[in-house]
Amino acid sequence: MFVLVLVPFVIEAVGVFWPAIQGVMLSVLNWNGIAPAKAVGLGNYVSLASDPIFITALKNTAIWIVLFGGLSFVGGLGIALLFQSERRGVGIYRTALFLPIVFSLVVTALIWDTFFQPTGILNGLLNAVGLHSWTHEWLADPSTALYAIIVAALWREIGYVMVLFIAGLKALDPAIAEAAKMDGCTRWQQFRYITFPQLRSVNLVILSVLVIDSLRSFDIVWAMTAGGPFNSTQLLSTYMYSTAFQGRQLGYASAIAVVIFVLALGVIITYLVRALSEEKES
Amino acid sequence: MTRKSQHWLAVTGLALAATVALAGCVSTGGAGSSAAVTKDAAGPLVLQSRFTGAEKSGLEAVIKAFDKKGEGKVQLNSLPTTTFDTQLPSYLTSKNPPDVYTWYAGQATRDFADQGLLLNLSDVWKKSLGNYSSALKTLSSTSSGEQVFVPSDYYWWGVYYSKSEFKKLGITPPKTWNDFLTDSAKIKAQGVTPITMGLSDNSWLAAAWFDYLDLRINGAKYHLALLAGKHSYDSAPVRKVFAAMKQILPDLSPSILGTSYNQSISDLSTGNAAMYLAGAFIETAVPTAERKDLGFFQFPIIDPSVPVSEEAPTDGFMVSAKTTRPTLAKEFLEFAASAKGQSLLLNGEDGISLAVNPSATQTMDALSTQGKNMLQSASQVTQFFNRDAGDAQQTPADTALTQFIAEPNNLDAILKAWQASAVKLRAGS
Repeated sequence: MFVLVLVPFVIEAVGVFWPAIQGVMLSVLNWNGIAPAKAVGLGNYVSLASDPIFITALKNTAIWIVLFGGLSFVGGLGIALLFQSERRGVGIYRTALFLPIVFSLVVTALIWDTFFQPTGILNGLLNAVGLHSWTHEWLADPSTALYAIIVAALWREIGYVMVLFIAGLKALDPAIAEAAKMDGCTRWQQFRYITFPQLRSVNLVILSVLVIDSLRSFDIVWAMTAGGPFNSTQLLSTYMYSTAFQGRQLGYASAIAVVIFVLALGVIITYLVRALSEEKES
Repeated sequence: MTRKSQHWLAVTGLALAATVALAGCVSTGGAGSSAAVTKDAAGPLVLQSRFTGAEKSGLEAVIKAFDKKGEGKVQLNSLPTTTFDTQLPSYLTSKNPPDVYTWYAGQATRDFADQGLLLNLSDVWKKSLGNYSSALKTLSSTSSGEQVFVPSDYYWWGVYYSKSEFKKLGITPPKTWNDFLTDSAKIKAQGVTPITMGLSDNSWLAAAWFDYLDLRINGAKYHLALLAGKHSYDSAPVRKVFAAMKQILPDLSPSILGTSYNQSISDLSTGNAAMYLAGAFIETAVPTAERKDLGFFQFPIIDPSVPVSEEAPTDGFMVSAKTTRPTLAKEFLEFAASAKGQSLLLNGEDGISLAVNPSATQTMDALSTQGKNMLQSASQVTQFFNRDAGDAQQTPADTALTQFIAEPNNLDAILKAWQASAVKLRAGS
């Protein structure tokens, strides 16, 4: 039986714990990967505090979590409520909304990149309906680039969240909803006081999935703008990558990685504490 | 679970544990010196290459001819440039690195040589490269005078245009900056975008404008010192460069930051855009039928008192200090640098680069002849921003230049941020 514990432990130790410890150790060094490393103590963390690109990346990550996470949640729930009942043809809608999930994020990025090009479909459509002044360089303008990427990311995520919610809604006892209806609940009251509270455990799972998905978002941003134009769409993850592998500042990049780790850990601990305390209550 | 599979799991577990113990931590120390290898290890010479396009076929021709000589085999691994560039430090610092690499001459190579990661190739130079120019030798040497690089070819940069479009627009290639600005205005008045570039996915192309304006305004000596960190980007001479750049901003394609490389090439070949400052590699991107219509002119002269220098990025090979096949590596490089090897390489490359060996025979078309003459008459040649400044310095330059294109009135903040990033990168390496 000892072996059964040892094997996963060793795999975890080699694949997760050891690199994580190494990452923390690297974050107190100045190292370009080829020359001898110099110890700088907390110097990397101090420079982070005054690094304007890092501040932008932190802000963008916050925007990303709120918009990408929030809209995925609301959109996924709304669509799930709309398509939960079995009606003729509803399967086609559900499939259509779930379809984007089969594309990898890089392919999603390629599709939306074409859509947002200066001479692309979106500007073409706007011109066709006479909204010439609305045409824009969506991905090249710092004021729209991040939001354009979020739209692309949402396109893929909402279908996924919808499926999770539909699964949750299907598990509810229809008798309760029926009883509420008999008692004269409006549709809103039924949702607010009957359906939504029953989805609590599903909500927690979806929220944690969304926060983790937001923090690890990298591929779609990298494939669409690589953090540009001029660093305006950097997330913590893309900034970490470009610092490590384009700027060859492995120590500084590790310090950013540690910040991401602490943020993710904070979210997970808050989630676990809440989940555990609620379990106790019930 | 059966006894047998438990046993297997235990073995795997132990093997993994042993790997952890052996691999130890990430080595953050220096590379150390290479072991003195007296006899080559068995197996083919591994050549790691960043070329996947036209250059690859040239390289394959050289390898095929070398393999026929019977001195040893060469195994070519071709990776896309971006992957190759990112992974190169990992290759060179790994325990069993590939033997030979394609790379950029200049500071980009010296960065590795300074850490003792490259094999000394001085005897290759002494034995076989006696007829190479002294400028190339200096370019291939470290600060202590050892050669660590064997150049293979170089190419030119110029302002590319379509001859038939220029005729239609009534433009003859300008020679001076003022003519260039006048012509751009003339082109714009006819509803054509004067200048394009594919900056959305290749923002480094903007550095060509910076390099050339700096070379024409402040000269090569200042330019190289600036890129080496001896001057500040936040300075009066650099402001002059940006002032000149500001003059062409209205002539750039209005969606230049959102234009992809492919789109920009298509704009040039369909006549939507008239001019494109690019390296010779642009020729292979244009459809074959339209290549004959393609021409280029020398970057216009701004200050006649500044000696004319040109960008001539030189490519070539370097060898890992830890190679286990140093004799074979040197034999291969001697062959690649020989007149025969050079002829094979260049004739396979579709006419977009020039041989470094003066005795090589190369089929030249009109553009390569023009490029060669232009570089030969230059008082000095530079490599390109990332090759002269070190590869890591490219990203802050891209940021500064693209931001300037979008926010030209924000110059003070842009230059301050650029200088700060450049200093930080140098301190961190």
